[in-house]
Amino acid sequence: MAFREINSKMVEATVAPGQRLYSQRGAMLAYRGDVSFTPNIQGGQGGLMSMIGRRVSGEATPLMTVEGSGTVFFGHGGHHVHVINLSGDTLCVEADRLLAFEGTLRQGTMFMGSQGGVMGLVRGQVTGQGLFTTTLQGQGSVAVMAHGGVFEVPITPQRPVHVDPQAYVAHHGEVRNKLSAALGWREMVGRGSGEAFQLELSGNGTVYVQASEEKL
Amino acid sequence: MFRLQGSKVLAVDMTGDAVKAKNGSMVAYDGQMSFKKLTGGGEGLRGMVTRRLTGEQMTVMEVKGRGTCWFADRASEINLVALQGDKLYVESSNLLVTDAGLRTGTTFTGLRGASQGNGLFTTTVEGHGQAAIMSDGPAVVLRVSPQYPLIVDPGAYIAHQGNVRQSFQSGVTFRTLFGEGGGEAFQIRFEGDGLVYVQPSERNTIAGDL
Repeated sequence: MAFREINSKMVEATVAPGQRLYSQRGAMLAYRGDVSFTPNIQGGQGGLMSMIGRRVSGEATPLMTVEGSGTVFFGHGGHHVHVINLSGDTLCVEADRLLAFEGTLRQGTMFMGSQGGVMGLVRGQVTGQGLFTTTLQGQGSVAVMAHGGVFEVPITPQRPVHVDPQAYVAHHGEVRNKLSAALGWREMVGRGSGEAFQLELSGNGTVYVQASEEKL
Repeated sequence: MFRLQGSKVLAVDMTGDAVKAKNGSMVAYDGQMSFKKLTGGGEGLRGMVTRRLTGEQMTVMEVKGRGTCWFADRASEINLVALQGDKLYVESSNLLVTDAGLRTGTTFTGLRGASQGNGLFTTTVEGHGQAAIMSDGPAVVLRVSPQYPLIVDPGAYIAHQGNVRQSFQSGVTFRTLFGEGGGEAFQIRFEGDGLVYVQPSERNTIAGDL
């Protein structure tokens, strides 16, 4: 476990030689020991092609590589930080919510249209996530940011979970998501309940939801 | 069944019954749920007219179904209030969820309301059941008893319940007029028997500037 939660808004990461961390640029608060921070022009892992991919998809956030030996404290903008441990499965998260993640994780971008075709694209637009999302896969831990606290909702095949798109943070596991619209005549005449669009997540996994409808 | 998950998320377990919630405050649910906007704060035509007139407009939706529904709003702290036939006075903007069995209405608050920066009217919740109110920071519940009246800053007041009389008191002196006030020119005084909910943060009020 590379990350340890100091309080709800700060994490401590241990860096050892040979281990590498990626973090959002400027998110370091303090460090101990001999640690170097190098801006990562490529915005993450992979070669030139991955970099171009991220630029094109708008999932490029300024990242930096953290190397050396010591401990580093991360936090950003007073947002709540939540540590997610991955053991081989894939986490889908928006790039701007990523605070830091271990170098052992493989970073990639996923086209929203690959899940649900045209509806996937619509979903990306409605939720403000854009057409692409970032995926992290492998063994390791990730620190994600959210406004307000984060709570986990388990998803089982019998119990699909519906989430407000604005409160959705991340999900992992074998999860299919689709946008369900509950549009009726009430929405057309401006008498909506404010819950017209929902993300429906079904399958097997966990979804992370924040206690707020505000974006970062 | 209302239960708090952390201090900022409210989980409501429902078995076919309904609750009234602030519009758009659902963050997640499982099972089957339907969301319907209630016109006039769920008080019908009368509510529609009075709420429009009093400025205590409340956009409420009815959530009905089976399963668990999670509510949260802008990462505000949530407090649970149990009502046994008594009346809760709360600002409509601080009300998150109420049991469908509770009646809501509006009441005149007079000068106190104006000093709170919330207008002249406030919302009442009455009946048997639970309600969830929001505060900016964790709220403290202060008891008012006949021997011990309580004086509260209008900007920090969020709600009260019980048999409480309230009056308005001012500490305006000649110093205030010269702009040398202590920033505590007005207070609300509670007397009687009941509970007052106070938040550790102050809204912008006229009183706060004096």
